[in-house]
Amino acid sequence: MQTSKITVGMVLRHALMLLVLMIFLFPIYWMLVTSFKPAQEVLTRPPTFVFEPTFDNYRYAFEQADFTLFIRNTVVIAGLSTLLVISFGSLASYSFARYNPGDGHILFFILTTRMMPGIAVVMPFFLIFRDLGKTTFGQLFALGLDQIGALVVAYTVFNLPFAIWLMYSFFQDIPTELEHSARLDGYNRLQVFLRVVLPLAAPGIAVTAIFSLMFAWNEFLFGYILTRDAARTITVGVSGFQTQQGILWGPLAAAAVVCILPMLGVALVLQRYMVRGLTFGAVRG
Amino acid sequence: MSSESLPLADSPPPVAALGAAPKRRVLSDTVYSVLLITPAMILILIFALIPLAYAINVSFRFADLTSPRGVAEFVGLENYHFALRDTFFWSSVLRTLNFAVFAVAIEMVLGVAIAFLLHDIKWLKGLARSLIILPLAASPFAVGLIWRYMYHPEFGVFNYLISRIGLPEQNWLGNSDLAMASVIAFDVWQWTPFVALIALAGLQSLPKEPFEAAQLDGASRWRVLRTLTFPMLRPVLTLVLVLRTIDAVRLYDAVVSLTGGGPGTTTEVVTFYLYRLGLRFFRLDQASAMSLLFLYATVVFTGLVLRRFMREMGERTRAKN
Repeated sequence: MQTSKITVGMVLRHALMLLVLMIFLFPIYWMLVTSFKPAQEVLTRPPTFVFEPTFDNYRYAFEQADFTLFIRNTVVIAGLSTLLVISFGSLASYSFARYNPGDGHILFFILTTRMMPGIAVVMPFFLIFRDLGKTTFGQLFALGLDQIGALVVAYTVFNLPFAIWLMYSFFQDIPTELEHSARLDGYNRLQVFLRVVLPLAAPGIAVTAIFSLMFAWNEFLFGYILTRDAARTITVGVSGFQTQQGILWGPLAAAAVVCILPMLGVALVLQRYMVRGLTFGAVRG
Repeated sequence: MSSESLPLADSPPPVAALGAAPKRRVLSDTVYSVLLITPAMILILIFALIPLAYAINVSFRFADLTSPRGVAEFVGLENYHFALRDTFFWSSVLRTLNFAVFAVAIEMVLGVAIAFLLHDIKWLKGLARSLIILPLAASPFAVGLIWRYMYHPEFGVFNYLISRIGLPEQNWLGNSDLAMASVIAFDVWQWTPFVALIALAGLQSLPKEPFEAAQLDGASRWRVLRTLTFPMLRPVLTLVLVLRTIDAVRLYDAVVSLTGGGPGTTTEVVTFYLYRLGLRFFRLDQASAMSLLFLYATVVFTGLVLRRFMREMGERTRAKN
């Protein structure tokens, strides 16, 4: 049994934990610090820790490039693709968990679609969206190059396999008797799914939504290749501070803060849901 | 209660009888199950199979996008022959493996150690757990650029900190002997929390009784770790190892923002070489052949490990019941 006595070992462990946390949080701290530095203090030797904080870097970044647009694009793209992933993914995942169509083979096939290196499929994606953009259907749903719909579809496709696998274990955990009795009460299948199964799987859906959102928000390669101006995302926007005189580290840090902070917030608020998601549900977190 | 979490090929479909209950039978289970997966499958099939078919097609043709002919005549296995003989490709494969082995090994050891630490502390446990997760949520590309700034040979904060404790300053990303280690350090920073969190979840789900029995028998701490804790954590750690390895061999964003493959080609991993070959030199044919070889290797590796993993999980579930 644990005693409430404070031992040397206990104090040492907490000190060690503090040290570990400081090391892991230092880069984030340094990004924040740099983003508030006046221009002449960004490249100094030795680097300064104390200075007069200023918003100049943020002002410069927002003047230099349309970061308001990048943020709006990213919110819309990440939000819509997460919505699609959850709608399509939960239907499919429930079907695999309950009826196992394809006897596990389709499920494994779905997983393998995620293993192709992004760099190898980005060219075909580019060509597909270039051609789609010329069709009426494509124009209707903004599926062309440098259009928001294209990235929504791309991120949905990337996240679906992971989402289906992730929600699978949550759907399996729901006792089938509940669905049974709901059907006896006169619910049809779709009502059973929407009113009984989905609410019970809410934690799993939350986990899946967090990861889909983070992936879409943080993605770089496809955002870079498939957009130019109008549909640029925030991650790609951060890359825009390389000039002839070198990299403008101050504004870059400000842009990085704008890019990274929202997802740090999501992680902080929802971290207790995340652990189970990280293991495809194999460990009860 | 069954607690299986991964699909097991030999487990019976749980509710074959669900369709028998309703008063009015409209759809058979099979039709309903297919209807449910249809929207997702349409998207996946279009956007997984078309690019795959495209890559396969191009890999058997001559395709130099700088020439006006674009994707041209059928050349048989020539691109695959080229891939097998291309020393740049194979050295990038070696570099990738080198990166993956070191990065994943360090992440596993550090991550498990941190998990034990997180498990043992009493004060502010929840806060520590919340904070350690943060590196995971940061966009690798954006935070990679911040690391590049911190690695700056003249003005970087790393050199400052290291000189304060009396060590010589380094050109972290510019020195070809050090650049790969610096990329590994970045990856370790971003992904050790992932290993730590999963190992922690594993630790917390261990049953209490065997440990209490061991304590009564007066077993040493080391003996408990070796004969109880680690064997029981093994399935979880195997899963982390697989997930991390699949991710590590696909490393891309961090290389772009940290080194761009340099200095020279010292940090040019497979994905980055494919980028250079396919999208900068526009030799899509050769890049496609190599991508397919890479995909094949990954699928085979995952299939083998995952099958073993599922079998182990199945045995564990059965043993519990």
